[in-house]
Amino acid sequence: MRTGRVNRVLLCLVGLLLLAVGGSVLAVGLGAPAPRRWLHSGPHDVLLSAAERTRWRDAGWWWPAVIAGLAVLVLLALWWLAAILRRRRPAEILVDTGDGEGALLRGPALEAALAEDAARQQGVADAEVLLTGRRTRPAVRAGLRLEPAADPAAALSEFTALPLTRARESAGLASLPAEVRLRAVRHRAERVS
Amino acid sequence: MSEPRPTEDTRRLPVLDLDKTPGGPPPLLDRGSGRFWSPRRVPAGVVALLLLAGAGVLLYDVVAVRAHRPAMHWRRALARQLAERPLDDVWVLAGAGVAAALGLWLIVLAVTPGLRALLPMRRPHPDVRAGLRREAAALVLRDRALEVSGVREARVRMRRRRARVRALAHFRDLDEVRADLDTVLTDAVRGLGLSRPPALSVDVRRPGRKG
Repeated sequence: MRTGRVNRVLLCLVGLLLLAVGGSVLAVGLGAPAPRRWLHSGPHDVLLSAAERTRWRDAGWWWPAVIAGLAVLVLLALWWLAAILRRRRPAEILVDTGDGEGALLRGPALEAALAEDAARQQGVADAEVLLTGRRTRPAVRAGLRLEPAADPAAALSEFTALPLTRARESAGLASLPAEVRLRAVRHRAERVS
Repeated sequence: MSEPRPTEDTRRLPVLDLDKTPGGPPPLLDRGSGRFWSPRRVPAGVVALLLLAGAGVLLYDVVAVRAHRPAMHWRRALARQLAERPLDDVWVLAGAGVAAALGLWLIVLAVTPGLRALLPMRRPHPDVRAGLRREAAALVLRDRALEVSGVREARVRMRRRRARVRALAHFRDLDEVRADLDTVLTDAVRGLGLSRPPALSVDVRRPGRKG
């Protein structure tokens, strides 16, 4: 959700910028009266004249400012890409063993155990589980594929009551928030007569 | 995964004994899961990549010119085009229109939740959110419709608010089939466990003479 928010804010900013520039050029180009001191004075003005482009070229701060601005933009884009590509997944979670010590449970072990447990449930063809969140407060994202005769509501409450509760208890967690997505095994219509 | 199947069955029994709800798991709560929001990873990735490429190439060229190398061809051409084309030029107008439309689309992507194919379900537990894929919901309704006797074929069109079932019945009175379908499908829609159950519309016909 966190990268989701970053993505949405940045997409919205880029969108606003494109809409503002494109819309203003379109409006002035189609003959709408341009306000005074606008970028473009009228439909016969050019997008960016040589005079406008080189206005501050002789000032000492211009090129350092341009280079710094572009460098910031490059770094921002790099950071954004990294944030998109990186998945926040804890490699291990901290288990409170109750004796003042702690144990580390490997994330993939819990994922595999939960997925296997869920796939054993009636009406579930197979399951995949990803661990998200932090290592002290992990969360689970599960995808269940339902078999043809399964009832989604029943499968969901059984998954929550059994495999998920077992995983939470065996990891010694007070709570294990989960996001479950149900899909169905594709199958043909079968007439039972 | 690689574990042999037989051992799994032996492990399952004691756990079921511990389960305190002999009548099956508790029913879903009345609380919905809320709409699922897409992280918008793909459009964000594309925009970030374009931003990186554009800013990177421009930065490289600006620095190269500062280091007394000639500017790249495209930059000189771009500067010339920008300085020569008037705003009412067709290409400028088209470009501006495309930019504005793209901007509008990005804003729409940013403020809408997306994931329209994932229908929010009622929560089984306050900590658990769940969603059901639309095709899965449609398949469940279709399978249940086919259980009604007389129904030979059923097609389900699942929208976010409305499920439309069209069935072909090759025997029995159409009104009876419709009444049965209504009962069965109302029950099936409840079994989907959606936080906003779709309105149901059932349409029963005789198969056409041609088919």
